[in-house]
Amino acid sequence: MAGGSGLAARETGTGLSPTMVALRRLARDRVAVLCAVVLAGFVLVALCAPLLARLEGQSCAALHTELVDPYGYPVVGPDSRHWFGIEPRLGRDLFARWAYGARPSLLIGVGAAAGVTMIGVPLGLVAGFAGGVVDRLIVWLIDFMLSIPTILFIVGAVPVVATWFGPEAARSSTLDAEIRLWTLVCVFALFGWPVMARLIRGEVMSLREREFVDAARLLGMPTRRILRSELLPNLTGPIVVGVSLAIPAYVTAEAGLSFLGVGLIEPTPSWGRTIADATSYYASDPLYLWVPAASVLLLVLALNLLGDAIRDAFDPTAR
Amino acid sequence: MLVYILGRVLQGASVILAACVVSFALFYLSPSDPAAALCGTRGCTPQRLAEIRASLHLDDPKAAQVAGWLRGLVVGRDIRSGGIDRHCPAPCLGYSFVGDQPVTPMILARIPVTASICLGATAIFLPLGLLTGSAAARRRGSPLDRVLVGGSLVISSIPAYLLLLLTALYLTILHPILPRGGYHPLLRDGPIAWASGLLAAWLVLGLQFSTAYARYSRASMVDTLSQDFIRTSRAKGLPERSVVYRHGLRASLGPVLTLLGLDVAGLLTGAVFTERIFDLPGLGTLSLDALGTGDLPVIMGVVIVAATTLVLANLLVDLLYAVLDPRITLR
Repeated sequence: MAGGSGLAARETGTGLSPTMVALRRLARDRVAVLCAVVLAGFVLVALCAPLLARLEGQSCAALHTELVDPYGYPVVGPDSRHWFGIEPRLGRDLFARWAYGARPSLLIGVGAAAGVTMIGVPLGLVAGFAGGVVDRLIVWLIDFMLSIPTILFIVGAVPVVATWFGPEAARSSTLDAEIRLWTLVCVFALFGWPVMARLIRGEVMSLREREFVDAARLLGMPTRRILRSELLPNLTGPIVVGVSLAIPAYVTAEAGLSFLGVGLIEPTPSWGRTIADATSYYASDPLYLWVPAASVLLLVLALNLLGDAIRDAFDPTAR
Repeated sequence: MLVYILGRVLQGASVILAACVVSFALFYLSPSDPAAALCGTRGCTPQRLAEIRASLHLDDPKAAQVAGWLRGLVVGRDIRSGGIDRHCPAPCLGYSFVGDQPVTPMILARIPVTASICLGATAIFLPLGLLTGSAAARRRGSPLDRVLVGGSLVISSIPAYLLLLLTALYLTILHPILPRGGYHPLLRDGPIAWASGLLAAWLVLGLQFSTAYARYSRASMVDTLSQDFIRTSRAKGLPERSVVYRHGLRASLGPVLTLLGLDVAGLLTGAVFTERIFDLPGLGTLSLDALGTGDLPVIMGVVIVAATTLVLANLLVDLLYAVLDPRITLR
């Protein structure tokens, strides 16, 4: 591996950055490529959800109560008009709700991971580089945030934070649902940054003793430039590791909270919410439960396996 | 050593205090009327609202409110509810107006359930994880190793609550292979009923949590087993089992211990999905129900109990670390 890329370097005259080496190793890993394809498929579904719904000829909000019998059970199964069938009781089209449901899952997963990175990386950088009082303060803050029971606090904070965006009665239900989505992203980012900050801080503390940092200091480089152009590029590895751990964790968390009824609420289509609704129909209408459940399973599995492969590819000591 | 312990205890106390203040701030200082929030979303009459406002001194300055609440934690408070003065004994974690009782007894009644879940799950995942990791490390590169590693990767990637839900639906209700979930108190119904009600939850949690231990112990055992002192032990004629488990496993105790502390604390404070899916009346369902009825004092009480548990678990792990590894110089 090292010999291969070294030969290439000698031939072309340019070196390969650690990131490029890692990406090449990743491309050779078949499982990783498969997971990336699955992930791309989900992203495509989420992006083209309106297109897919129009293709099918349904929308995710239209009620079809005429197709539901007096007991709330759907009269029709999956057919050419409703590809995944319809929901019991309200009769909404399940395929459209599935396609639209991919959006909040991916949006919250990526959004929360981005938020965690934007808060955690600067704080970890400052803590690791500055040392002294600033470091101890930030470490205390990290320990404090990690000591808060996250599930309970998130479950408790989401409704309260949602009220901060305006009084509840004055909002339409669609605006309410939107606010819920962004509340979730904010709350996740607020509770997730300590892990990233701790990771970055550890890495910075070992990097700051290296010679290139001393050289930069001697040359009179201002601290801000040192952090930005000397240290930050070397932190690509830990940042990628952190993000690869965060995204599946937040997709799972969103689905879990929606399952409990605390996350996304009606009318936002959410896979977690659909799973909760489908639990009572699991024996009589298994497709209702298994479509969102399998989707969550597949998405999180692909993200986790891909993340694992990325971590192995970025780790210089891995076989 | 003593200075270190004192320092960590003080730090832990400061964290708990901060958690109390933040919890207080989040719910009392929100723009919506705290008295209305405390009164609950159902069954709130104007008389009750006025009672709450008066008895909790909600018109006092915020600092005085925090101080009063903290004092209640130590010596107890008197709350007026339903026209009667009730005494909330120390430690008074609040008074639930929706349930019309102090919060502390509500929490204490639920602790045995959550503790039972945690105990059983730990008794499964710890040995399972360590055994799996050791077996994989000993036969490194063999098909068994690859199956174990791949299997643990896939199982750890499945969202925990999905596994719990599907197990509950398909293995306990539709096809009763495992006994139905439910809590039967140990002292009242005997150990068999107690264990059978919790068995499904224990098995799933045990399986899910064991994967991390398998990974850690395998990685560190692979490192340790290639060292010279292992070769010496084998040369001395020690049985292989003794070499692997007594000498090899001991070296991996560090990260395993940290993970154990985090997992036990996490199970004690956040087994929300398990309790909801298997219908177990623990702390998790207490907080979920409280959220449903808008019973903020209960939520606050549970948050503080959970924060304290996490801090204590971290403290314990740090102290055990120092005891186990004499190389650690405690600053």
